[in-house]
Amino acid sequence: MSERDPDAELVARVGEQDPAAVRTLVSRKLPRLLALATRMLGDRMEAEDVAQEAFVRIWKQAPHWKEGEARFDTWIHRVALNLCYDRLRGRREDPVAELPEEAADPQGSPDMQLEARVRDERVRTALAALPVRQREALVLNYYQELSNIEAAALMGITVDALESLLARARRSLRAQLAGSGFSKDMP
Amino acid sequence: MTPERFRTIVDAYGADPRRWPEKERVAAEDWADLHRIEADAVLAESASLDAWLTSHTIAPPERSFVDRIVATAPVRHRPKPRTRLWWQGAAFAGIGLAGGLAGAFAVSFFVLTGTPPQVHEASSYLTSSFGGSSADWSGE
Repeated sequence: MSERDPDAELVARVGEQDPAAVRTLVSRKLPRLLALATRMLGDRMEAEDVAQEAFVRIWKQAPHWKEGEARFDTWIHRVALNLCYDRLRGRREDPVAELPEEAADPQGSPDMQLEARVRDERVRTALAALPVRQREALVLNYYQELSNIEAAALMGITVDALESLLARARRSLRAQLAGSGFSKDMP
Repeated sequence: MTPERFRTIVDAYGADPRRWPEKERVAAEDWADLHRIEADAVLAESASLDAWLTSHTIAPPERSFVDRIVATAPVRHRPKPRTRLWWQGAAFAGIGLAGGLAGAFAVSFFVLTGTPPQVHEASSYLTSSFGGSSADWSGE
């Protein structure tokens, strides 16, 4: 790895139990972890539990963190994904059952907000219906904006296999959204 | 870049070149520029799905949740605040000032009256149980 890990210095300060560094790390990483877990699990409360558990592991690991072995951001994604998989394995119900909290649009008319909400729910439902590996590939690459190499490494697959999962995920989503007003001009 | 590879890239990563593999991005964009009609057809199909995906947002964590996470972190103990030392210094200064005032008062009293403050000459501490006893022990 040639580039410096952008989180390395901050993690070192967290390892020294610097309160300001702790708060900075939480503001930097919690939204990412929460978004990852919410999209993987489809349940906000469970996602918050996963994020909290991930941070407990971060506090334990920070004093021993060594730059160069893996990027810190990649490592916390691995931790959060493992926690998500633990929960998905323990599930018997359809993860779509509970609605995750959605970001409210502070602007726009009530009609626009309603339309945005409906659209958001359709995508959320379509994502939740994807096979879990396809969903994982899409969430990591599209929403978490990890590179194809990072996402493939996290999933323990080749880049070709990742591309195959991504293409299948997008085809499935297109097919599902076609029944909910998906068109070339929408949304 | 081949037409097949361009389609594979767009099918997997979407229509936004910023999401394409870094090593192939320039070549794919060049191919699209050279084959505009064919590329646009592929890109348009993917762009509409990108727009749907982008519309799905997750609410940021609430402040109370952020605070709860921060509270789980081990935090180094800070040194005791300096205000405490300041109060200790002030207490010493106060005691010294009180002593000084008491001394000044005694001296000024002596100067004004010409007599030192009176003390009991036959204070009880000057006597002892061994002095002044008239008991006659001869009978014993």
